Amino acid sequence: MSITAVKDQRRSVEEALTQAITSLEAEQSLKKTIREAVDPLDDVARSALSELNLLHSIPSSGHAALCEKCLATVATSKSHWTTVASLIPKGEFYRYQFAIGPTLRSFVTAIAMAHFLLKDELIPVFAISSLLGIGEGEIILSAEDYLQGVIGMVNELPRLSINAVTTQNFFLPIKISAFVNDIFASYSLLNLRNDALRRRFDSLKYDVKRCEDVVYDLTLRGLTPAPTSA
Amino acid sequence: MVEVASPSPIVTMSRKDHLSRTFEAYRAEIDSDNERRERLIILSRSITQLSKKLIFHLHRGATSSPGARAKMLNDARTKEREIREQFRKVNEVLREDGDDQGWRWHRQVSPGLEEYIESLSFLHYLEGKGLITLSDVQAALSDQETGDPWLVVTPEDYVLGISDLTGELMRYATNALSTGDHETPLSVCRFVRDVKAKFDRIPPFLIKPLAKKQEETTRSLEKIERVCYALRLRLLEFADRPEILRQMAKRALDEADREEID
Repeated sequence: MSITAVKDQRRSVEEALTQAITSLEAEQSLKKTIREAVDPLDDVARSALSELNLLHSIPSSGHAALCEKCLATVATSKSHWTTVASLIPKGEFYRYQFAIGPTLRSFVTAIAMAHFLLKDELIPVFAISSLLGIGEGEIILSAEDYLQGVIGMVNELPRLSINAVTTQNFFLPIKISAFVNDIFASYSLLNLRNDALRRRFDSLKYDVKRCEDVVYDLTLRGLTPAPTSA
Repeated sequence: MVEVASPSPIVTMSRKDHLSRTFEAYRAEIDSDNERRERLIILSRSITQLSKKLIFHLHRGATSSPGARAKMLNDARTKEREIREQFRKVNEVLREDGDDQGWRWHRQVSPGLEEYIESLSFLHYLEGKGLITLSDVQAALSDQETGDPWLVVTPEDYVLGISDLTGELMRYATNALSTGDHETPLSVCRFVRDVKAKFDRIPPFLIKPLAKKQEETTRSLEKIERVCYALRLRLLEFADRPEILRQMAKRALDEADREEID
């Protein structure tokens, strides 16, 4: 091999790998920026979920106000979502989903819980997107993240049902049990693969049972309100 | 995300019925995602298979006479184009999802992509063009007319593919030896050494699987270096007797192999 050929080969390695490493570093720094922009969102999600913790201890007359407060907290996240959305290059949401998805799920959990207690229904995806102000930007609330977030809420409900009884609210356990049943029936319509969502779905049936057990205990003691009021 | 339901539930519809309707839409979405994932995994596997075949093809002809070698490289280009055709199909699947750049399904496609980069970079090297660049790889996997990428090749894919290239080069150097070619091992050795030196500068957290592959590269490099060492000594002693050279080189390689097993 001639000396020029050796030099050419050398240079090609140097150039090719410098190019790759440069773009690797650029990618890394954007990932870091996005992660940092998501941090304040995690804070908001934690506050919202922590506010909802009070549901277990306060009288149910205070539930509505608490849920409104939680939704107001959620609403403060809008500007942060706009920031995150502006950092994501067009069409590249799924490249950064790993950093954003878990946060989205926490928000879904908090919002769905507040919405259920206020409206007795499951909040749809588009309503969550508009609460977060992410409808238009690069951020996508995927079916996967939504469905996981909703399960996160359902996982909390058996506890709420039990604690409602402690505070002598005998109506809420019935409302919860009916809701959890409907949700379970809905998830049963899905053809799930053997993935994380499937495993979480499998946890739902225990929640259904625990909620039903509470209703059973109430019925046994004649504590259930008249069916018409349910 | 599909439009799932009207914002205000129809009053006459029970919550359960309403939820069923909503979840049927999710089911449709999940089903089509799963189906898309399957198709991409199948394409990725087929790309892996074709790339492996291309690599075998390259090894078979790389140490042949110049004429046969040129023909082999020519045929290799045909095979390489067939692989690109698979990537065009990948792009068709991605576009159905509106995900033109392939980010959502990157994990499903990257095994095939890495294998392709390995074969393409090997071909590129054998054509005497040195190390292929990331933008060359991206250009190969883009629509030749519009220049739109069929899927985005990330620097991770590239680095991992090139990391595997070093293993192929080790094999190539070894095969070259058995034909008495002592120039190739020396030149491959320099090349792999340069690649490894650059790779060693990449922080391990940037590409998790790289650390393991780097060990493999280091082993390959050490083998080549061992062979080159023996080769150099014998060249000094028996420069005019290629037959002896071959024997010596083979012995050096066997020793390197044995030490690795121990």
